[in-house]
Amino acid sequence: MNEFLTLNVSASGMTAQRLRIDVISSNIANSESTRTEQGTPYRRRVPIFSEYLMGMGRVKSSGVKVTRIEEDPSPFRLVYDPTHPDANEDGYVSMPNVNVLREMVDLISAQRSYDANVAAFNVTKAMISSALQIGRG
Amino acid sequence: MFNANFQIIKTAMDVAMLRQNVHAQNVANAETPGYKRKYVVFEELLQESLKLQLSNTNKSHIQRVQQPVQPQVKQEEAFFYKNDESGVDIDFEISQMTANGLRYEVLSRLMSKNIEFYNIVLRSV
Repeated sequence: MNEFLTLNVSASGMTAQRLRIDVISSNIANSESTRTEQGTPYRRRVPIFSEYLMGMGRVKSSGVKVTRIEEDPSPFRLVYDPTHPDANEDGYVSMPNVNVLREMVDLISAQRSYDANVAAFNVTKAMISSALQIGRG
Repeated sequence: MFNANFQIIKTAMDVAMLRQNVHAQNVANAETPGYKRKYVVFEELLQESLKLQLSNTNKSHIQRVQQPVQPQVKQEEAFFYKNDESGVDIDFEISQMTANGLRYEVLSRLMSKNIEFYNIVLRSV
């Protein structure tokens, strides 16, 4: 059992949550983008978290990793705006399937999870420091 | 030469460190779909090992070998806390982790005190 591995596990959690915050930011930033390189409106992106095993020894620890960033297949939001250049013949514009409120809630959740990983990291660090103090009077 | 406290405190500290590792894994995977919460079982196993004492009433009985109790990491099987099928309750994890960290602190101070006793003896020679 390696206590420095514990620090890496917490770090993997922080990395994953930070990437999640990046994805949420790009969703919010593109919540009105009607054109992308694929020619469609922007599709909401979702990071897929998965457990992955860390460590060299017999006992492995589960870290976390974002394995893929997938696109939300739900339909686009239709907004009636005949003056918009991207409006179809009926006057409707396909807007990205991003719900800004939902993204904000996700953002707070990601931030809290990040904080939880930081708390875990700090406790591990305090434990290692107190072990280093043994025998120093 | 040294008393048994060293071994006892060392084992307790190892278990606390293993617990910390498991808590960190649970916190990191709090939002991983399908992740099963892990936990360490040690005190129960220790209790169990003390209970089952077979006595040797005859010389020809097989001598009982005292196996050191090892902590085990187990998984919570059928319990999901949230509907994304992750079994981690983050508040519970953090509070348990803090308590565990404090216990470790206590144990490390105990260890220091034990060493100090030997130092007192050695200095007075």
